[in-house]
Amino acid sequence: MLKFVTGVALGGALALVAVWQMAGSLMFEERVSPFSVEETVARIQQNVLAAGNGWALFGLRYPTRPVEAEGVSILPVMAIETCSPKYSGPILKDDKTRFLSLLMPCKISVYKKSDGKVYIGTMNAGLIGKFFGPLVAETMEHVVADQQKFLQFDPSKPAPPLVLPKVGGEGGGGGAAAGGC
Amino acid sequence: MDPRHWLMAALALVSLAATGAFAEAPTLADKLPPAAKGTADHGKFKELQRTFKSGPEVTRACLECHTEAAKQVQHTKHWTWEVVDPATGKKFGKKNIINNYCTTPISNEKDCMACHAGYGWKDKSFDFSREENVDCLVCHDSTRTYRKLPGDAGHPVYERKEFPAGSGKFVEAVDLAKVAQSVAMPSRANCGACHFFGAGGDGTKHGDLDSSLINPGKHLDVHMNAKGLNFTCVSCHKTIDHFVSGSRYQFAASRTGPPVARGKYDDEPASCQSCHGDKPHHENPLLMERLNAHTDKLACQTCHIPEYARDAIGTEKSWDWSTATKMGPEGKPVLIKDSAGRRAFDSKKGNFAWDSFLVPEYRWFNGKVEFKTVGEKIDPTKVVEINHFDGSAADPNARIWPFKIHRGKQAYDPELKNLLVVHTAGEDDAALWRNFDWPKAIVAGMETAGLPWSGKYDFVATEMSWPITHMVAPKHDALGCAQCHKDEGRLAGLGGIWLPGRDRSGLIDTLGWLAVALALLGVLIHGGARICVLCRKPKNEGNQAS
Repeated sequence: MLKFVTGVALGGALALVAVWQMAGSLMFEERVSPFSVEETVARIQQNVLAAGNGWALFGLRYPTRPVEAEGVSILPVMAIETCSPKYSGPILKDDKTRFLSLLMPCKISVYKKSDGKVYIGTMNAGLIGKFFGPLVAETMEHVVADQQKFLQFDPSKPAPPLVLPKVGGEGGGGGAAAGGC
Repeated sequence: MDPRHWLMAALALVSLAATGAFAEAPTLADKLPPAAKGTADHGKFKELQRTFKSGPEVTRACLECHTEAAKQVQHTKHWTWEVVDPATGKKFGKKNIINNYCTTPISNEKDCMACHAGYGWKDKSFDFSREENVDCLVCHDSTRTYRKLPGDAGHPVYERKEFPAGSGKFVEAVDLAKVAQSVAMPSRANCGACHFFGAGGDGTKHGDLDSSLINPGKHLDVHMNAKGLNFTCVSCHKTIDHFVSGSRYQFAASRTGPPVARGKYDDEPASCQSCHGDKPHHENPLLMERLNAHTDKLACQTCHIPEYARDAIGTEKSWDWSTATKMGPEGKPVLIKDSAGRRAFDSKKGNFAWDSFLVPEYRWFNGKVEFKTVGEKIDPTKVVEINHFDGSAADPNARIWPFKIHRGKQAYDPELKNLLVVHTAGEDDAALWRNFDWPKAIVAGMETAGLPWSGKYDFVATEMSWPITHMVAPKHDALGCAQCHKDEGRLAGLGGIWLPGRDRSGLIDTLGWLAVALALLGVLIHGGARICVLCRKPKNEGNQAS
């Protein structure tokens, strides 16, 4: 009996260690982009604007700029902020899930690594949604489906221009719809 | 205390002491004097208190005092656009070589000479001996209002004009008197007016030079950092009698020895080693010996410029002339930009590819460079090397250097097998950018160059190499060991050296792992034996001992 309990405990501990090790990679996804940082961002922005379901651009951030200002040479990162009031509305309306505003607006990060390749980083919204009840889980399923469209590129189409933020860092073509997020 | 603990404590103390000592040491910026203002206010000189109608008029006024200046300039490549290789006697320089950007100034002088330190070079008739043709202001203007535009053969803007034509943007006429009265030592903006904008646009050509260096932060270049050391170009490119040191034609690729004191004669003042010596690492006592041991194989730039074009401006990676003259859907010339607003296609010029934060390509280089000159034979079955940087791992004068490789396609003669001189710029009917007619433009270009043309043309793949040497990152952002010492690292394709971490021997690896396995086995046997001995020891034996 003691051997059995010890075995189960050991197995459980090992499983926990494995989950702990994998949690990071499960929560976030990363893929290589065939385009430059700017073109990747512009193509995602274009896809967001074409996705429907209320999706709009909420902003475009440059997280490395403050680091550069400190005198550090750092590879570029551009963070696209997108939002759809159709999906954010019900979550923000419910007192129990309003705290999830912390995760809004949705972010897609585009960055270069020292191997010279451009990567796209996204949150695994589907998995995260499962932790917060049926409303969030269902909403996130829709978000995931739309996010897949954001990342589908057609190389035969010419590179679109970047949608640049308005002065002050906010905006980026968000318009009235984005203002609701 | 265990001796190992003493050793660790001592190492920690040494490390802390070293860190603290260097953290509090005054920086070079603290030691430098404030920017020199000079001893003469040119605004007070009567010779300059008048109206000037042309650049040569200003030069005549300058020469009244600076009697030898024009003669000095006329001996430099900024004036001649010609460099003679002392080893072979072969003539290089912009006047003689052909590149894979705009290709050559021959037959396009009126445009290209916007970057000549002179006035009036529009064709072969230009008089290189006339001192008044030397342009003093392009290097010494401190107002940043002095502009020379393509099409004016090196003259500044005398009358307000629309540029580019039809753009609705206007360039104001230069107030020559104001500029003449404000002359100063060259700033980064002076040199950058040409060197940042080579090949027709900001950052296009070099990859490590663009207008962000006019006022750079520390992250972009530790030496030019406007709030720090604030080096100008001539801080390193030390200039004597208007001869600016440092050249892509005669390169200091592998200087050795200690740093040279400023003021002492230095034949390569623009090299890193000129100030830093060849044993530059001294801050981390645990690493310095290993890092300094790399300097006989690596150029400083290889580690200290981890990426080039490290800004939003970026640089051009390729230029494909074969698509030039293609029109837009309405049959009119079009200009298409990429996502970052850089040129992607121009009916006049073809396709371009741009990017920022680029990882260099690495090659051996010993300082000897060969360039394709106008009319030289090529092998079109291979990618044509516009320039060739000599060197190999076996060459003691060679170092591994970082390069920007600009790739392209450009016109060549498939029968005579040479790159073609094309008359691109100009208002005449033969200019490619005006009539979009390749044969007409080639006839005009080759006639001007005095070269035969078979009447046929095609496009050949070319590449041109640019050693990267500016945009030096802060020391903490230099490449780490693992960037190269690994599989598929930065030096993955570089031959001739045994690179630990990248290269391996099956036999040595097997022996190593065998040693690890034997050590582990030894530990297990030893540990197991001790446990067995402890288990067999009678319980009361321990009590008696205590």
